[in-house]
Amino acid sequence: MSHSSDSPALVGTRWVELGLTVFTALIGVVVMYGSVEQGIGWGDAGPEPGYFPFYIGLMLSAASVANGVLTLVRWQALSIAFVSRSAFRQVLSVFIPIALFVAAMPLTGIYVASACFIAWFMWRDKVRAKPYGKLMIGTVSLGAVLASYLIFALWFKVPLDAGPMGDWIALAGRNFK
Amino acid sequence: MSEFDSLLQGMNLILTPGHIGLMVIGVLLGILVGVLPGLGAPNGVALLLPLTFTMSPVSAIILLSCMYWGALFGGSITSILFNIPGEPSSVATTFDGYPMAREGRAAEALTAAFSSALIGALAGVLLLTFLSTKIAAFAMSFSSPEFFAVYLLAFCTFIGMSKNPPLKTVVAMMIGFAMAAVGMDTVSGNLRLTFDQPILMTGISFEVAVIGLFGIGEILCTVEEGLVFRGEHARITPMVILRTWAKLPRYWWTIVRSTLVGCWMGITPGGPTAASFMSYSLARRFSKNRDNFGKGELEGVIAPETADHAAGTSALLPMLTLGIPGSATAAVMLGGLMIWGLHPGPTLFVEQHDFVWGLIASMYLGNVVSLIVVLATVPLFASILRIPFSIIAPIIIMVCAIGAYSVHNSFFDVVLMLGFGALGYLFKKLGYPIAPLVLAAVLGDKAEDAFRQSMLFSDGHLGIFWSNPLVGSLTTAALLMLFWPLISKALQTLMGLRKPQVVKPKSVL
Repeated sequence: MSHSSDSPALVGTRWVELGLTVFTALIGVVVMYGSVEQGIGWGDAGPEPGYFPFYIGLMLSAASVANGVLTLVRWQALSIAFVSRSAFRQVLSVFIPIALFVAAMPLTGIYVASACFIAWFMWRDKVRAKPYGKLMIGTVSLGAVLASYLIFALWFKVPLDAGPMGDWIALAGRNFK
Repeated sequence: MSEFDSLLQGMNLILTPGHIGLMVIGVLLGILVGVLPGLGAPNGVALLLPLTFTMSPVSAIILLSCMYWGALFGGSITSILFNIPGEPSSVATTFDGYPMAREGRAAEALTAAFSSALIGALAGVLLLTFLSTKIAAFAMSFSSPEFFAVYLLAFCTFIGMSKNPPLKTVVAMMIGFAMAAVGMDTVSGNLRLTFDQPILMTGISFEVAVIGLFGIGEILCTVEEGLVFRGEHARITPMVILRTWAKLPRYWWTIVRSTLVGCWMGITPGGPTAASFMSYSLARRFSKNRDNFGKGELEGVIAPETADHAAGTSALLPMLTLGIPGSATAAVMLGGLMIWGLHPGPTLFVEQHDFVWGLIASMYLGNVVSLIVVLATVPLFASILRIPFSIIAPIIIMVCAIGAYSVHNSFFDVVLMLGFGALGYLFKKLGYPIAPLVLAAVLGDKAEDAFRQSMLFSDGHLGIFWSNPLVGSLTTAALLMLFWPLISKALQTLMGLRKPQVVKPKSVL
């Protein structure tokens, strides 16, 4: 999985820095707003619930603004690329499938989504000289899912949501008996 | 009861086949997460937490702490054989470990790393054995203002001593505090920062944040760097082990110095990463073979490894006695303790005598078990890294997702994990530290309680934090630490005025 580092830059570091400071400052504002709703003063029983979080939000916003100012001060120095286009494509090619995997989990259950995710990830890997065979993909994805069922659901009694597939299997099992 | 009696009692408690079996499992899992990219000790422990709820606290802490030791050992395997630090704290081991492996001295480097690591770890445990009861007894006299001052000291040390920009550390920390505040207020029972969303009522779990920030964020960074695992091979034979052990006494001074550095950085929230870097740079400065550093010098492996493990074990000292973790992994374990219904802090030593001494005894045994297991399984774990990334990565991601889900059996947590993953990627790229966020997320509620109690005592006057010599010196020390970057800069300018030559700044601090 190598990529050429001289591919064009997608975005300058300064913009990402600035974006993140705006984001963290906004979180601070939300925290302050939520605290004010709860009361930030001194009630009958001492400090009100919003007393402590309000200052957390205030410090978060203040530090974020200061970070933003520092970014502006170093604006020229931070013109270096944050990530090259090809490297970012690599990141997205992993992040988007994870997002789809997460989105699919409530619909299909954890097991089906995981098996499909692993299978897709292996199938898509075209960098290898020899792509994985169907048997290999099936064994690894089903094996990993089976192992997670054994470890989590069976041994440690942490129930994992199996989704509709689980219901069908449970139903089939009941009819079989 | 003396420490020695308590220790024997603890040994008695843990020397059962079941507990030793748990140790081996914990160490194996730990080496696994230490070796795999994207998984490390903090999120390994976070992933395992939901599985420990059905165990007794002693068994659970044995499993988790042994996982921590295993992960510390596993991190050195990848550093030496693959030039890839499996853990941030083993970055310094790559400097000389990998060159040694390239010269075909991988087995020697690994043996030296593991053995010196064991020495460092045992020194840390000895410190814990003989200091913890004294510190706990001293801390028994603490009331809320003292506790808040200790928390303040821990957080300010993080800000002042971090190698990341101080303001970025503050931002990361405050996000952690904000996370901790979401959900039910522990004092009034009001729902805070939930904005009438029922999904936020249970709060944001630190486990989910750890799994996302460390696990998914790390995977994204790995992908971007286009990592290729091309490692050296190693077979460790008894002959090599004996020959390396025969060489170790020559480096006794390096080991002693590294142990001291490690213990100090472990107790203060510097953590294992800073300890290993500092120890490496000290070893290089004082070594006779200075020029050979970076080219495969045995001393350059021994120094960071000893300090890394000494810091890793002594990080549990403030965690157990004061309820303040010295590293991100210790923070996650502390969260686990609270979930099991234990109250970390001085009272733990009185109320949970068996638990504490079982843990301390297991640390002696667990580290020895780790050394044996790791020496025997190096080829196995090295071969795991040769499995292609396109197989390992989706499995790691699946494990992370299941781990996040199993915290509250909620799919919302998995979505949160993804969000934290993206945030973790940005944080890593832009130099925001993650450990303070985790620390604040775990300690937020306790710090807030201590602060509000203190405010109640004093009717809202901050003067209470200087009301007696103890709390006053703690608070003052905290403020000194907070402004340390400015103070040290001012001192340097003063020194610079007197002496014209430029003082080379330390690379770590």
